[in-house]
Amino acid sequence: MVLQLHVWGPAFALPSIDAQCLAAIAYCSLALPKDSWELVASSDPSVSPTGELPVLQNGAVWVSRFRSIVDYLRQYSKGAWDLDNQLDETSRADNIAFSSFIESRGQSLVDLYLYVTSQNYYGNTSPAYGSLLQWPNQWILPPKLHGAAKGRTEHLGLSSLDLQAMEDQRQRDHSAAVAAGKIPKNLIQRPRDTVSSFLGRTAQSNHFRIEALTAEFFEPLEAMLGRKAYLLTAEDEGTPSSIDCIALGYLSLALVPEMSFPWLRDAMRAKAPLLSAYTERLRRRCFGDAPIEIAHAFAPESVPESAPESPISWRAPGRISVAAVGTTLLSTLADSTPFLREIRKNNGLKKVAQSEDSGLSSTEKRVLNLHAESKKKDMYVSIATVVGGVALMVGYMMQVGMLSFQTEDEEEEVEEGSGEASEAAYPTVAEFLAV
Amino acid sequence: MPPKTSEGSPQPSTASSFFTVPPPIKKLFDKFPLATYPANDLPQRSPTRRQGNQLFVFTDAAGARNGRPSFNPQCLKWQAYLKFVGINFETTPSNNHASPTGALPFLIPSQPIETANAIPSHKLQKWAIEQVHCEEEQQLNLRFEVYASLLDTRVRTAWLYMLYLDSQNFEAVARRLYVEPATSNTLVRAALGLQLQQAARDELLKTSKYIDVAELEGDAGNAFEALSSLLGDDDHFFGRPNPGLFDASVFAYTHLILDDSLGWKQNRLAQLLREHQNLVQHREKLLGFFA
Repeated sequence: MVLQLHVWGPAFALPSIDAQCLAAIAYCSLALPKDSWELVASSDPSVSPTGELPVLQNGAVWVSRFRSIVDYLRQYSKGAWDLDNQLDETSRADNIAFSSFIESRGQSLVDLYLYVTSQNYYGNTSPAYGSLLQWPNQWILPPKLHGAAKGRTEHLGLSSLDLQAMEDQRQRDHSAAVAAGKIPKNLIQRPRDTVSSFLGRTAQSNHFRIEALTAEFFEPLEAMLGRKAYLLTAEDEGTPSSIDCIALGYLSLALVPEMSFPWLRDAMRAKAPLLSAYTERLRRRCFGDAPIEIAHAFAPESVPESAPESPISWRAPGRISVAAVGTTLLSTLADSTPFLREIRKNNGLKKVAQSEDSGLSSTEKRVLNLHAESKKKDMYVSIATVVGGVALMVGYMMQVGMLSFQTEDEEEEVEEGSGEASEAAYPTVAEFLAV
Repeated sequence: MPPKTSEGSPQPSTASSFFTVPPPIKKLFDKFPLATYPANDLPQRSPTRRQGNQLFVFTDAAGARNGRPSFNPQCLKWQAYLKFVGINFETTPSNNHASPTGALPFLIPSQPIETANAIPSHKLQKWAIEQVHCEEEQQLNLRFEVYASLLDTRVRTAWLYMLYLDSQNFEAVARRLYVEPATSNTLVRAALGLQLQQAARDELLKTSKYIDVAELEGDAGNAFEALSSLLGDDDHFFGRPNPGLFDASVFAYTHLILDDSLGWKQNRLAQLLREHQNLVQHREKLLGFFA
């Protein structure tokens, strides 16, 4: 059985546009024999039952997320495909701590670099997605990813890298200034302080904050690497470990892409020359010498025989069918409708939990099932709240309105339905609404 | 607002007649205020004379009197740190609305250097270094930030899940600690509870598509394992003679996870933590500072 690794497709001469996918590819390419796995650039999270990429498919078993994939490969091969089996206790601890460090800090930096920085997103990232996604996903997925990246980096206070947000901010400031003459000072909502608002509102003034963030990220890694061949082991005594794969995932996205505003690459080259050389070396080892093009992923047969041997064997993703396009469109429509979205998410989860061969243990199934159930309850509660609220509102209006309706009826009885009575009834409702 | 046109301009009547206040109305309003009362006294519970440094944390009145550990990890971290470096302070029960930054803890020092002198949590370490000239530990070891990220991500997400999203724990612990002291109104309590849970859920969903409990707990278990081998046989992290900021950060979580008096219904994290006896002993030793 050939394992299939589904990932986001290639971009910027790298085999994937997503750091976690790059890490998974690097791990497979280092740990697995070449003929035991294939890479599929599905670029569509809906292929996976959990809705996430990267996902490893072995027949009917789907495993998503880097760490779960690593665990699954170890169990599946009975310990043979395991890069971390040589590590002693200290290295194991470092392996865990550095992966958590790279994943948390690296993710924020990559988010800021590829998505939040407007020049890079509109100039490079968005076009890259455009060429690797199929219609209609190229219109649906990039804005979602863009929004998610912005949400993840909000707390860093670097939204001024985002020119669009800057423009919104300026407009808010402007309207605040207009209102300043009319509204007492302490009632004007103060615009959120961004770093640049302290330092003079230019993109260059982000420099200090970015300087600090990149230094915090690169310096421990550079010190850890030192003159060694890999983060944890020297060349002569060992092999790369899973931490090297994660590092490669995030660092290659920082180093390799040609961006319009390459602040992260400049910072990395300046602050961590050893780390840059290490990334370059490891990248050639895991992904091959030649830069990867989109054609490699989508039409592997077309690559000429003379091309240098690559450690990755691609398999073209299935051609998108009319039915699939229809499903995507429908599900996007459904996902943007409240309640319907919740129902769909739950059903998807439950299906995973209940399918016999999903590769989950019984506890995991139980937990997943419980989670789906509780989400369902949550949803019913929110539906009930909305219905209850509307009913209460209508009831209240009826109560207020009823009095006047009754008077209307009485008056009608008296006056035999003259127009004046019904006219008199309307203002009460209108008054209520005005209040 | 005082009418601007009434002063200074040479020909007010023609140019800005639209904006001038008609004389009878102006005369009427000039009489206000009819009487000015003296300012209200401060509430009786507020301290009449501030003695010592006041640290505002999530805690209850009895806990504040006895200097017990706060039940919020962020607050407990700084409370423990200030104790470890030997700064005297009193804790005051508070909540996020009281804080100038919107988050607890913050500290009001006894000797005000300036008038606006509440110190938010991210400046507390700098302040403590100025006060007692302790070391800035981040500079001493490159692993500080790296291992701290374990606490900030893996342990924290597992903690958020255990406290807020496990429904039994939420009813037994979080509701009693965070929701009930805030108000006695049932409706507001229900809304507050839902808000807290939703905030925790949003935080967890920021980094993943769905919440996988087994993975959260597995990650936390790995994190404890890494911290345990970092501590080794030493008394304090990084082999320091005295406990410091990193010890405080670890203690903030380990103490609360192992504290049975909080009334946990489900406590998987404690099971995982008890596999590493050196972390349990580390917590017990540091608990001595609060005796």
